[in-house]
Amino acid sequence: MYPRWLWPAFALPGVVWLLILFVLPFYAVVGVAFGSVDPILLTAVPAWNPAQWNFGWVTQVLTELQPGGIYWDVFVRTLEYVLLSLAGCVLIGYPVAYYISRHASRTKSLLLILLVLPFWISYLMRMLAWINLLSPGGYAERFLSATHINDLLFHLGVVSDPNNYLGGESFTVIIALIYGYIPYFILPLYASLDRIDRSHLEAARDLGASPWRAFLHVTLPLSRTGLLGGAVLIVLPMFGDYYTPNIVSGAPTTSMIGNQIDLYFHGGPQPTIGAAITILLSLFLVLLMGYYMWTIHRASRDLPA
Amino acid sequence: MAGEVKVVDLVKRFGEVTAVDGINLHMPSGEFFSMLGPSGCGKTTTLRMIAGFEQPTEGQILLDGDDMAFTPPHKRNVNTVFQSYALFPHLSVYDNVAFGLKRQKRPKSEIRERVGEALDLVQLQGLEKRKPAQMSGGQQQRVALARALVLKPAVLLLDEPLGALDAKLRKQLQIELKALQQQVGITFVYVTHDQEEALTMSDRIAVMSEGRVEQVGPPQEVYEEPTTTFVADFLGVSNLMTAQAHGGSNGRCRVTVGEFELFAAQGETATTGDTKIVIRPERVHLEPHEAAGENRVPGMVERVVYLGNANQVIVGLANGDKVQALVQNTGEELTYKQGDPVRVYMPADALRVLTDTGTAPIDEDAVPGIPPPTATEPMAGEGSPNVSV
Amino acid sequence: MSQAVATGRTTTQEFSTWRRLRGWVGNPWGKPRFLVVITWTYIVWSIAPVLVAIQFSFNDSRSLTVWHGFTTKWYTSTSPAINSVFHDPGLRGALQQSMKLAFLDVVIATPIGVLLALGLARWRGRGSGGANFLMLFPLVTPEIVMGVSLLLLFSHLLTVVPFGTPAQVLGHVTFSISYVVVIVRGRLFSIGRSYEEAAADLGAAPAVALYRVLFPLLLPAIVASAAIVFAISIDDFVISQWLSNGANTTTVPMTIYNATRATPQPSTDGIATVIMVITLAAVIGGVLVFRFFTRGEGGRGSAIDDVAGFGI
Repeated sequence: MYPRWLWPAFALPGVVWLLILFVLPFYAVVGVAFGSVDPILLTAVPAWNPAQWNFGWVTQVLTELQPGGIYWDVFVRTLEYVLLSLAGCVLIGYPVAYYISRHASRTKSLLLILLVLPFWISYLMRMLAWINLLSPGGYAERFLSATHINDLLFHLGVVSDPNNYLGGESFTVIIALIYGYIPYFILPLYASLDRIDRSHLEAARDLGASPWRAFLHVTLPLSRTGLLGGAVLIVLPMFGDYYTPNIVSGAPTTSMIGNQIDLYFHGGPQPTIGAAITILLSLFLVLLMGYYMWTIHRASRDLPA
Repeated sequence: MAGEVKVVDLVKRFGEVTAVDGINLHMPSGEFFSMLGPSGCGKTTTLRMIAGFEQPTEGQILLDGDDMAFTPPHKRNVNTVFQSYALFPHLSVYDNVAFGLKRQKRPKSEIRERVGEALDLVQLQGLEKRKPAQMSGGQQQRVALARALVLKPAVLLLDEPLGALDAKLRKQLQIELKALQQQVGITFVYVTHDQEEALTMSDRIAVMSEGRVEQVGPPQEVYEEPTTTFVADFLGVSNLMTAQAHGGSNGRCRVTVGEFELFAAQGETATTGDTKIVIRPERVHLEPHEAAGENRVPGMVERVVYLGNANQVIVGLANGDKVQALVQNTGEELTYKQGDPVRVYMPADALRVLTDTGTAPIDEDAVPGIPPPTATEPMAGEGSPNVSV
Repeated sequence: MSQAVATGRTTTQEFSTWRRLRGWVGNPWGKPRFLVVITWTYIVWSIAPVLVAIQFSFNDSRSLTVWHGFTTKWYTSTSPAINSVFHDPGLRGALQQSMKLAFLDVVIATPIGVLLALGLARWRGRGSGGANFLMLFPLVTPEIVMGVSLLLLFSHLLTVVPFGTPAQVLGHVTFSISYVVVIVRGRLFSIGRSYEEAAADLGAAPAVALYRVLFPLLLPAIVASAAIVFAISIDDFVISQWLSNGANTTTVPMTIYNATRATPQPSTDGIATVIMVITLAAVIGGVLVFRFFTRGEGGRGSAIDDVAGFGI
């Protein structure tokens, strides 16, 4: 019906755009990371020819990434923050998504709007809001002091200073990460829960499963793709986050990999090392993404769409 | 008169899959021609090739003698009523029907007049401003018809146009559609998997299976005189039995089914060797066990199923075959119950001998060079046993 | 008699309460009381802080923690002592820069994305698989990785592009295209090809079928994706920061970031509020236009489902 060349021609501008402004930039990162540093100006001298690549910087970063190296602590901390935030998102997000998809009937539309609302509020504004609340004298700070929850948190060892939440507390960073990313986790999860055909559950109940068992053996496995999808959607950007720790803490004791990269470009500029870390981070995330695709592929083989 | 379609050695392959496997069809001008078959038999693909949405891998599609296998759809004088109707949801009924006329750059007054006529034809006057979504399925179906007919095509293609409607509406529209076709007099090529639809409306039916044409003929012929096992089985309910043929005399073939001897007067009566015999349930008679005579076989009633207007009686024969008999409901109580011994009488003139199971018959009319029949019999469904109006 | 009735009622009540309680313990998921509590707590937790921030943008004091009464001076004051949103050159400039980037992003990314979506959905040939794969990557690449790579691209390879607005626009478009593709392609699949076939069947040439049938049917998705591109561009911090050239290409999120690292003021809350209102207006406008174009299509849910659908 249409001429054969039409569709590739339509795709052309977009593909060219992405090749020049998405793929080519990675080559720039590779060139800088495998290049050298001007000894006097300390600026990056990229190497574009693979034959002249110098793997010294990447090797150096890799060495420092081992236990005892200068990036080891940052790497472990990043993993801790990301995993704890993910756990928090699951613990809060699953019941919420479950409730809205399964039980909310009259309030469902309202709840969905409220669920989507944070998407349209700037991430930075949502972080700023917590600065207002957690500053000394802020609503949340006063509430925590009045209820002595701050003392409880201190005695449990969750915070090191019960009166200054914004002075480099891992706890605050993790809460902020959860707060920032959880909307992106809940929505795909909600979508997958909402897609589950109720007749599956009714069949399970009909065959004698208790509600708990029906949940464990039907709902949970069927929402697996949503859980994984939501997890990937928040884990990948969290690994690249640097602004959240900077805003709610700013202390080196809470810095993540992203902060390290930011520092090498905006602090004391050493773009070569920054580029090397960026490459390693990207590789790590590609592996993570590959694992996700593999599990999805397997799941789609087991379950009909 | 325009509107004659010939399909010659048509083949369509999608990668490894052969959807249409060398078919020949001839649809004379003004005929209501149906392609009937189960899903995946190639009927819709054939229709889409006639419409121009698919291009044949091999073969020709002749419209009034011109090969248009590679003419794009917008340049063919052929219009389609889609299965899903494909009414443009963003346009009103009027704009939907006027769409094709606007493409032809007709003057406004002519468009208005012809759209009005087309809507009159399908009895949708006054609904011009509606959007398709505001109409019932039956009304949408009529808009789709009007939209295609307003262009006065030489051939109208219909792809299961009644498939999405409920049973009652479907029956009503079958009658209307047939009347409409006689009124406008153009060739209708109708694709369906519903045998009743095909039998009720068509002048001729092509029964298709696995990309091939099994049999072409008027409804009565394909129903009463199936030439292949597939056709016998697909059209209505048939009793199919494996048999041995021993040749015939006087137009009757002597066959044995297990230990029983029968005479069959229909089909390939001169055949010998392995064969199949077929008889329609409504032609099977049940008689008391004591009855004797030719073509009578003893059996036992296995099940009686009440169908409303008839009773379906399933009889197990002594050799293990099962035969279905359809006993009309005349108000009297059925004399046979489950477990009763009976005698099954299968009259020789209702028993058909089939020789093949695989080879597809050729629609001889479609072979180039042989002139098509000058007239088609007006046998619009009458006499076909399944009509239930 | 009356006593008997009363007793009977008490027994029933006790029984049903006991049964309900037992029901909760035995089946906390089926009787979702505690799910209701979690859900509403979460909703309040997710939105209340923002409301507090809006509140303090109207605070008649520099404090962001103690309420001193209502004022609009942090928005409108012309006094040089008060850096109001609409008159402080820095804040005004940030607003303008954010709007400029979002506008240019929408104007460039939407058409490119729509064409790419059409191409990717229909093109079945050498290279189509790779292009489909490529399109997905910007959606999952952490922004800092894109920031670093674009920074190095513009400083070493495409040095003709100056940092500041040009680089920022190119960056924004790069991460926006994929969103347009995903939304438009989804609609394209749900539309199917039968409408175009019908158009061709009725005599429309390919270009006419595209323009008269496919385009109007895609329009809702195009509007939706334009609204989303606008919103994600306004919201973007990382790419804008990495590709800026200093003070005069500072966007609103960058201003907020810088303020939180120093001392945020009510006007910081104010500019955040302004940008939130603009984003919400764009999204609601997008939803309304979407509904206007899809009205009468039937088979769709409420307006609210559309709003919710916008997030996904």
